This record gives sequence, structure tokens and C-alpha cells, in this order.
Amino acid sequence: MSVLAFPLARTRPRAARLAPLFLGFLALFAIPGATRAATPPPGSGELVLRGPDDAAPVEAPRLMTDVTVDVSGPTARAVVTQAFRNTTKEWVEGTYVYPLPEDAAVDSMKLVIGERIVVADIRERAQAKRDYEAAKSEGKTAALTEQERPNVFTNAVANIGPGETVLVRIEYQQTVRHTGDRYSLRVPLVVAPRYNPAPPIVNLVGEGPATGGADPVPDRDRITPPVLDPATHAPVNPVTVNVSLKAGFDLGALRSDTHKVNIEEAGPQSRTISLADGPVPADSDFELVWKPAPSVTPTVGLFREHVGDRDYVLAALTPPEGKAGPRLPRDVTFVIDNSGSMGGTSIRQAKAGLLAALDRLGPNDRFNVIRFDHTMDSVFPASVPADQANLDRAKAYVAALEANGGTEMLAPLQAALKDTNPEDTKSIRQVVFLTDGAIGNEAQIFSAIAAGRGRSRLFMVGIGSAPNGHLMQHAAELGRGSYTNISTIDQVAERTRELFSKLESPVVTDLTATFSEGGADVTPGLLPDLYRGEPLVLSAKLPQATGTLTLSGRIGGTPWSQTLDLSSAPEGAGISKAWARAKIGDAETARITGRMTAESADAAILELALGHKLMTRLTSLVAIDATPRRPAGARLSSAELPLNLPAGWDFEKVFGTAGERAAPIAPPPVQRRAELRRAAAPAVALPQTATDFEIRLWLGLTLLGLGLLVARSRRFA
Amino acid sequence: MRALRNPKRGRAAAAAVLIVCGLGLTAQGAWIPAKAAFAQVLLERAFARTLASGHPEKPWPWADTVPEARLSLGGESYIALAGSSGQALAFGPGHVEGTPEAGEPGTAVYAAHRDTQFAVLGRLRPGDPIAVTRSDGTMATFRVTGSRVARWDESGIDPRAPGRHLALSTCWPLDAVTHGPLRLIVEAESDGQGDARSD
Repeated sequence: MSVLAFPLARTRPRAARLAPLFLGFLALFAIPGATRAATPPPGSGELVLRGPDDAAPVEAPRLMTDVTVDVSGPTARAVVTQAFRNTTKEWVEGTYVYPLPEDAAVDSMKLVIGERIVVADIRERAQAKRDYEAAKSEGKTAALTEQERPNVFTNAVANIGPGETVLVRIEYQQTVRHTGDRYSLRVPLVVAPRYNPAPPIVNLVGEGPATGGADPVPDRDRITPPVLDPATHAPVNPVTVNVSLKAGFDLGALRSDTHKVNIEEAGPQSRTISLADGPVPADSDFELVWKPAPSVTPTVGLFREHVGDRDYVLAALTPPEGKAGPRLPRDVTFVIDNSGSMGGTSIRQAKAGLLAALDRLGPNDRFNVIRFDHTMDSVFPASVPADQANLDRAKAYVAALEANGGTEMLAPLQAALKDTNPEDTKSIRQVVFLTDGAIGNEAQIFSAIAAGRGRSRLFMVGIGSAPNGHLMQHAAELGRGSYTNISTIDQVAERTRELFSKLESPVVTDLTATFSEGGADVTPGLLPDLYRGEPLVLSAKLPQATGTLTLSGRIGGTPWSQTLDLSSAPEGAGISKAWARAKIGDAETARITGRMTAESADAAILELALGHKLMTRLTSLVAIDATPRRPAGARLSSAELPLNLPAGWDFEKVFGTAGERAAPIAPPPVQRRAELRRAAAPAVALPQTATDFEIRLWLGLTLLGLGLLVARSRRFA
Repeated sequence: MRALRNPKRGRAAAAAVLIVCGLGLTAQGAWIPAKAAFAQVLLERAFARTLASGHPEKPWPWADTVPEARLSLGGESYIALAGSSGQALAFGPGHVEGTPEAGEPGTAVYAAHRDTQFAVLGRLRPGDPIAVTRSDGTMATFRVTGSRVARWDESGIDPRAPGRHLALSTCWPLDAVTHGPLRLIVEAESDGQGDARSD
């Protein structure tokens, strides 16, 4: 661990790099309205925490975030600065749960206390936690960054002094997403409340070790931070976003559908983007979309980087669009999430998307629609021809859907993947899954897809202001499909059209990548099939980046290949990190699908993470100040920072009217067809099955004892 | 010293009252599990006669219910009665009215006291076998799929659900001493076997 202590302004380059820190810091005080608006009126239920000795309650630290992203061609480097401001007269510890992109390679964290900067070390998760706890109890200011999911992280900062502001700065690398001629950058800003299916009750009864089904969300307490009801609280956690875009080609359209932005032109290939209305509450993801100028066809993206004694290459190449062959009939199962988290604007987007999708079905296609919350229904018992009568019936059904209840995703997923005709080669089976993915049991879902996908292909459609990108991306990858996001109602038409052009166009299959020189370690190990407009993105570690890379495959049955010259590839930054992050993702997938044992996958992940200094499920970043500051005897209070409800969500639909998480014990998915759905299904009333014999027995024995006591005392009186 | 004699007599009376009440309550309390255990012996005999004769046989002459099935679960075996009135449940598990017989399409529901027969529900794990021998001699076998807790009037059990299911219910929490609205429901699914004659 290196501790740098110097006056910031005197070292110019360093000061320039720290500009975002100052921005975040200054913004805290420049926009008091945004932070102070959250000052709780008395009795409003602001998050407070009682200290260990049950003294006066303590408020959670206030948070201000600044996100600065540098996009350079295919990769982006982001700096997230979180300012934790302690407004109390106590020493506090704050814990903040926040999202990052699902493919983020987090490699740096710095803790800034006044003028001191502490650079974090990467350590094994348990060791990092121990070191943090030790520092915390010694009174040293310390920060710990842990990964809960590939897209959900926790920052804990201990020993923030009274009235003090401490900054935590995280940096990550990610690749720009690219489909067709659309390039996009997504900055998630809030972790949506997740629905965590209950563990089997038999475990709760728990005599002896649990042997039944394990808890589907073993870390549920780590991903359920408090969420403020927007009806009674002003938004908290203001955030500023700045993007410096160097596209690598002449830019055409550039816009954000999610936030109002100011765009400054800095040359034909560069733009500077910032939020138009200053800081916004962290309650919906930021998305920026750009396209090349109409006359420009972006060339192959091939970059290399030399790190240590190895070369790393990153290739992004879009195969040509194949000629549409004879159109095979399709059998499409649509699954729509109508759970409580979809309440508000999300369910409207999902319904509009699904209705638009139904209109795209051809007369030879078959289809079915499944809806689910904690229960599930399907419109038809099995898939039916897409004729007018059936479509009308399905549309009426979809139009009447309302969002409510829990999110039991496993049963509808399995129902959708169930293939009555697995040997059929004359039709294509596709599953289109519309959800916000607000669940905590991702691993269970991934295993089910890997085990049950068969010939079906799974297309994920992420809905709403803060969808679970990790679930979307990974489910589509395991289901050999593709994913798309519908963030606003305006995007429904465009994104549905895009999705359907993927469903209808020939797929690029049997892709292989061959390096002319040996010793290449390529990721992904198994190249995925590609849908129309999707680029093949692969990275590799090589002894030396010379020779050629040949990509070949079949586009709708026609062979295709292209050869790239590695030695002519320009230098790129962060390629090695992108490669290591992708390798870690491969190992996680192998663990879920059973291709690797848990132990060997973990060993591989740990080696990559420590070698490339990346944060993973198994490694954390920890920064510890050198000198203890909290006086001996001064108490330290801990508080979890509350999150905003994602924009457009309905608080009561998610948490119930009492403000508590609805349905702590999830009702099971009751499978019933739509036709059988009865108004107020006559559920069986269960009889009273408790006797009061124990009470009587104890009461009786007590009275007996008392009576005997009285009798004895009389004898001796 | 007269003043002292009265309290003594009062104390004697109080002691007597306490002892009598205590004995009464203890007997009542002890009677409940004793009755349940004893009834099972009689029911077992009656069920054996039912299987042999093919007709429902009353366990004792004045009984208002008949043994209907033998439930084997968690290493225990109980004779279940028709109906789930409080009277029937005092003797053994009851087959809830309006639900099909075990092994028939739909969801068969049995309920029993948590502190007598169905204390065993807390130990069942997914995958555990449950066998139901019906009064017609056929046996239906099930595998536990899971369990959950629900209010008695919001059980979510559909007696006409597709497939062959079994639900066992008892009061929740298992170790509570007072009556409550919650029920533990253990759900099981037919494993497709069974239906063999059992003699």
C-alpha cells in the first residue's frame, strides 16, 4: 500500500487528473439544494441508525457521485468519484451499494482524506475484509470495495470524522457496445430493489444441517440496501456525468434518450457530453448512443497492447449481412414480467414492446405468451398458429396485464424453454423474455438456461430505467441469443424493430478464430453465434502480436472468412484488462454450466484477478490510511446509505403499503392456464391445526406446584 | 391469635383450589396427545379391517368419521380420517373436504395438528418420499417438492390444479403454543409410480 501525502495543487499533472475529485467535492457544496433537500422533516423516517450502545440515532452519510468517462474507439475508461459527507457530530461508517456496467473491469480505487491519497491494494476478499475491519477498529480511515454481482458493488468507508467529507474514487475499463451502426455507452446509476425468492421453508425449521434446496440468494442481506419512498422523501445521491467521446470515426447522430445532455463539438470525431440540468438524482441509468456519419463505414476494429512480456489484441468485426435464405417458420414464446417492480412506466414499455412484436409474426409462425409475477399463466396451453383469432386473443390478454406481486422467474423460464418437439429442424424455436431482471437469484436462472436451452434461443429485452444488465447479457449469452434494452417508451418501436430483424435474419454460425502464430489464449473460448448487425468481439493473449488472425464462419449456410494483419494493429489502452475480464467471465460461466468445478474455476479467477489487479467475486480493493484518527473511546456508528427508487417505479407495488418488502415468504408459482383462471380462485381453506395442550399442561402443572407450595407453607407455619 | 387462624384456613382452601384446578388442566392437557396416540391404535385396526373388507369400518362404535388412508412420511405412519373438523383432527390427520383423493388429478390436502402427528412436517426435505395407502388398497407415492407458509385463508392451493399433487398442512410456527392464522404447507408431486396393490 502506498500512501501519498502532498498538497494537491502544487503537482500539476496529478492535480489535473484529480479534477473529477474536486468537481465532485465542490459540487457537494455548490448545489446544496440537491443534498439538503433530503434533510428529513422530523419523523419522516429518514434512515437513521442506533449506535452500539443504543445512544442517539445517527444519520447515514450523504453521498455525491461524479462519473467521468473517456471513450476512445472500442473501449471506455471511467472514473467514478463518490464523496461521502458526514453531517453528524459522530464518527461514522457508511456503506453504499451501487451499480457498474456488467462488463466493467474494476482495477483501481483511491481513498482521499483531506490532502492525503491512499491507493488501494487488490486482495483476496476475506483478507481484504479482515484488513478493513482491523483498520476500522483501530480508528483508521479505510475504504473497502467489494463485488456482489458483476454489476453490483459495495463501498464501505469507516471512520469518517464529524463534519468531514471523504472521497472514494473507482476506475474501470469497459468496451463500447455496438450493434448495427449504433454504438452505445451505458452508465448504470442505481441498483434496483431485487426480489429474492425465499429459501425452502424446511431449511428455516432447520433441525440439523440444511440438506434440502439451498437458499437461491445466499447473500440476500448484501444486496438489499434501504430504498427511499419517493412520495415521502426528496431524491438523494445526486450525480453528475461527463463523457469525452473520441469515436475513432466521423460522427453522425449523437443523443441520450435517458437524460437531457449538452453536447459540445470538439472536431469531427470528438464530442464532450455533460448533463444539461446539472446534477440529477441517481435513479435511472444513463445511456448515450452515437452513429457514424452517413458516408462513413467504420473499418475493422483491431487494437493491441504490450504489457509485461506479452501482447494483447482486441478485435471487433461485423460480418457482412447474409442474403436472406428461405424463411423458416418460427415458434416464438414470449414471456412478460408483470411483477410489482414492473409497475409504473416499465409495464407500459413491456406491453407496447410485446404488442409490437406480435404484429411482426408471419402466418406460418407459431407462438404463445406467458406472463409471470410470483404466479404464472400462459394464454394458450401450447404454442398455436399465429392467425388473426389467436393474435387478437393474445393481444387482448397482454393489454389487460397489470403489474403486481413478486418475481418468481425460474418457473416461467423453464416453461418457455420446454420444447415439445426437440428434434424438429423445420422450424426455429425462439424465446423472447421481457423483464427488468430485478431478482437476486441470477445463478439459479443461469443454471436453468444452461441445462434447459435445447434448440431454443433466448432473446432478452431489458425494460425500464435500471434493468439488471448482468442478467440480460449473460442469460442471452447462455441462451445463444441476444439482448436489447428498452429504456424509454420512445425506444419501443426502434428497439423492437431491431430485435425482430435479428430474429428474422440469417445467423452467423460456426465461427472460429485462427492465429497464424501459436500460443494464443483466446476469449471467448467458444465463439457465439451472431445476429444481424452484431460484431464479433474477441481478445487474445499472445507471445507476440505478429502474423495474421483469420476469422471464418457460415452466414446463413454460406461460408465466410476474413483475415486481419496483426502487425498493423494500432496501440490501444486497457486491452489486457479487457482480456482478463473476459477470461474471468468465461470461468464464471464454466462454473455455472458445470464445465469447470467450482474449485478450479475459482482458482483460475483468482489467478487472473491478482495478476491483472482486477476486482472480482473473490478479490476486493482495500485502502487503509496509515494513522489512526478516531480518538480512543469515541464511538463509531454504521449506516447503510439509502438508495432512490428507480425512476418510473411504483414504491407500493414493490414494498407494499407498509413500506416493508412485500411477501417475505414467496408464494409459489401456481401454474394455471388462462382459460382456467377464475375470479378469486377458491383456494382451499386450511383448518385450525394447533392444540393448546401445552398451555394447559404448563398452566396445570404451575397451578399444581403453587397449590403444593401453599400447602407446604401452611404445614410449617 | 384468632386473627392468624383465618389466613391459615384461607390458605388451605386456596391450596386445595389450586391443586384441583392444576390437576384438571394437567389431565386435560395430557389427554390431548394421549387421545391422539390411543386413537391411532384403534384407527390402525379399523383401517386394516377396511382394507380387508373393502367397506369403511368405524374405529369405535360411536365414531362419526371413518379411516380413509394411511400416510407414510418421515419414517412415521398415520391413519387419516375423512373430513377436517376439529373432532376428527383430535384423532388423526384429516382429509380436507373438497379436495380429491391422493393420487387423483388435482391437489389432495391433508391437515393435522402440529403438536401431534404433523410435527414431522418440519423435518421433511425436498425429494423426501410420501406414500398414501387409500382405503381401496391402492397406493400413491409422492416426492416433496418444497414447503411454504401461508395464511389459512390464502393457501394458494388449487384443488383442481393440473397434475397429481399432495399438500400437507399444519399450524405454523411449529413451536408456538397459541393458535395463529399461519399454516405450514408441504407440497409434493406424484412421482408417477405407486398404484401397486398393497396388501
